[in-house]
Amino acid sequence: MKKPSLAIAGLTACSGCQLTLFNCEDELREILERFEVAYFPMGQSDPDPKRHYDVALVEGAVSTPGDLSALFHFRNASRLLIAFGTCALHGGIAAQKNRSTPRPALLREVYGDRAPQLESFPPAPFKNFVSVDAAITGCPPEKGDLLRLLGAVLAGTLPAFPSYPVCLECRSRENLCLLLERNQLCLGPVIQGGCNARCPATGIPCEGCRGPVEEANVAQELELLLTRGFSREEIERRMSRFTVEWDYGQRS
Amino acid sequence: MGSVVEVNPLSRVEGHGTLRVYLEGRHVERVELCLTESPRLFEALLLGRSFAEVPDIICRICSLCSTVHKVTALLAVEEALKLPVSRTTRLTRELILHGGQLQSHALHLYCLLLPDLLEVKGVADLARQAPELLKAGLALKQVGNQIQEELGGRLIHPVNITLGGVGRRASRDTLYRLRDGIESVLPICTDTVQLFRQGFPFPPLSAPHYLAVQTGESAFSGRALTLESLPGIPVAGYREAISEWPVEHSHAKSARVRGLVPTVGALARLNLAPPAGGPVGELFKEVGGAVTGQDLRGNALAQALELYQSALAARDLVEELLEYDPADTGSPPVLTPAAGSGSAACEAPRGVLIHGYSFDASGLCRAADVITPTSLNQLALEENLLALAHGMEGAEPAVLVAALERLVRCFDPCISCAVHLVQL
Repeated sequence: MKKPSLAIAGLTACSGCQLTLFNCEDELREILERFEVAYFPMGQSDPDPKRHYDVALVEGAVSTPGDLSALFHFRNASRLLIAFGTCALHGGIAAQKNRSTPRPALLREVYGDRAPQLESFPPAPFKNFVSVDAAITGCPPEKGDLLRLLGAVLAGTLPAFPSYPVCLECRSRENLCLLLERNQLCLGPVIQGGCNARCPATGIPCEGCRGPVEEANVAQELELLLTRGFSREEIERRMSRFTVEWDYGQRS
Repeated sequence: MGSVVEVNPLSRVEGHGTLRVYLEGRHVERVELCLTESPRLFEALLLGRSFAEVPDIICRICSLCSTVHKVTALLAVEEALKLPVSRTTRLTRELILHGGQLQSHALHLYCLLLPDLLEVKGVADLARQAPELLKAGLALKQVGNQIQEELGGRLIHPVNITLGGVGRRASRDTLYRLRDGIESVLPICTDTVQLFRQGFPFPPLSAPHYLAVQTGESAFSGRALTLESLPGIPVAGYREAISEWPVEHSHAKSARVRGLVPTVGALARLNLAPPAGGPVGELFKEVGGAVTGQDLRGNALAQALELYQSALAARDLVEELLEYDPADTGSPPVLTPAAGSGSAACEAPRGVLIHGYSFDASGLCRAADVITPTSLNQLALEENLLALAHGMEGAEPAVLVAALERLVRCFDPCISCAVHLVQL
């Protein structure tokens, strides 16, 4: 059977999703054997930008015209386009001030007089521009999710990821509830699980890096945090760290 | 007639860059390195955020160096708020930084640089043509990652290291596992040093001005910077010594330190503080000639030596942590907002990294500044690219461009880190 061809690329991002592939130290050699690595500038020279890919794993948010044309290219050239990581799926860390500060003001803050020369718009997820066939969430993504996806693609299908909140795994690990028992600003109730509650398990509240869980009861989380004494401003600041497009009135 | 040869994208480096060589016949007019990464705007994202959020946000600037960005931010915020940290916390941070260095150097040497040595195109070719070498390199990388995951809670963007403490102290079982892992790769470390003794087969480059953090109690952080034999530069006053400016063709910035073009990273560290004594000191006596006083061609060997140094230091730290006071759990203190300013400098895998922050009375960030190793190296990299291009004048453009791209890789740039600017 012909090996599926694979493209791995990044837009506005920290390269952490691509590094997650390198971090599969035990499986990397087999992945490189079972796929034809057609485009992967971070790991392989002389990429051929003109070809067709069976799968494209693309990380990062879309924040420049260059990002957008790269995204269109990967969409057009690929049978399956995978939004790889929280930035690609929800906008991520770079988008956190999209609602609060206009882009030109942010650019001026950092680049001063050169700001007007830069082509940069509010970072946005892929779904604002193209259709996406599957997604892996997380900042960083879980290695297991990446391996499940690659394995499923080899078997001619796509994986079904869980659609329950972080709290479910957190409770089954019998962690102390940081929200109710420690009065900490934990976002577990509204955030996509699948990380096995890594952060609360070490005593650190969920910062929301995996984005909203399906049918999140956002309004209820907001009310709960308000009654616990957090200010609306502080809650929104924390919730927007990885996902800025929350509907604070949403009830599931 | 003039022509331009372009490499786009630069490959086997972190982030997005383009290399352009402007030729007049076979004569090299100019070499341009464009860091084309999208603007990241991290300093602007931090303004108005609480002091407690700063380390969690800023570590997302770069995945390869997320641990050292996090620790540097913690140190700077702790200085601003005058937060004390316990011995357990200090040792844990020291160990996780060694883990970060192991993973970063192993990734660079075995996945990004080794293909040049073996004349293949990349990591996928290595898996077919040199599977045993790749396996060894990945084993080394995995031990670094094991340290980062066990102590940091996850592989990238660690959560367990926090302001004033650790979320959960490493258990004895964890420490035993780490010790076993480290010991299993020590033979690979010495093999790595031998493997990367093969030099860079191109003409000499310009003589570097080495810059590094003056380390002491910690192997990574310190209160001053050393630039060659000049008097130390206090980290608190780094702004007076370092001048930075935007570059026209790039989204990054260039820097000079006390008017000189600095070179930071493994080569600079081993020149300013050569390994003495112990197994690494012995090995350095044998191979150090290719590092001491050398230009960037010695950087890969310096990284290989540091891999060995970090593995041994990590093993010692595990022993220390096994013996520490059980009462010192490293639990983070209750944090109260306060006004203050603080800065910190650490040696990231790629060199000097500086963070500086100011907070108002409600603990909200009012100023943020990050100086990364890749921006400190940017001018030296450009100077060396031009020197190499002139040294190879007359070569076939494809050969010339391949050599230049290989030189960029020797610097091990981290482009997503470099792409941000501050108001001066």
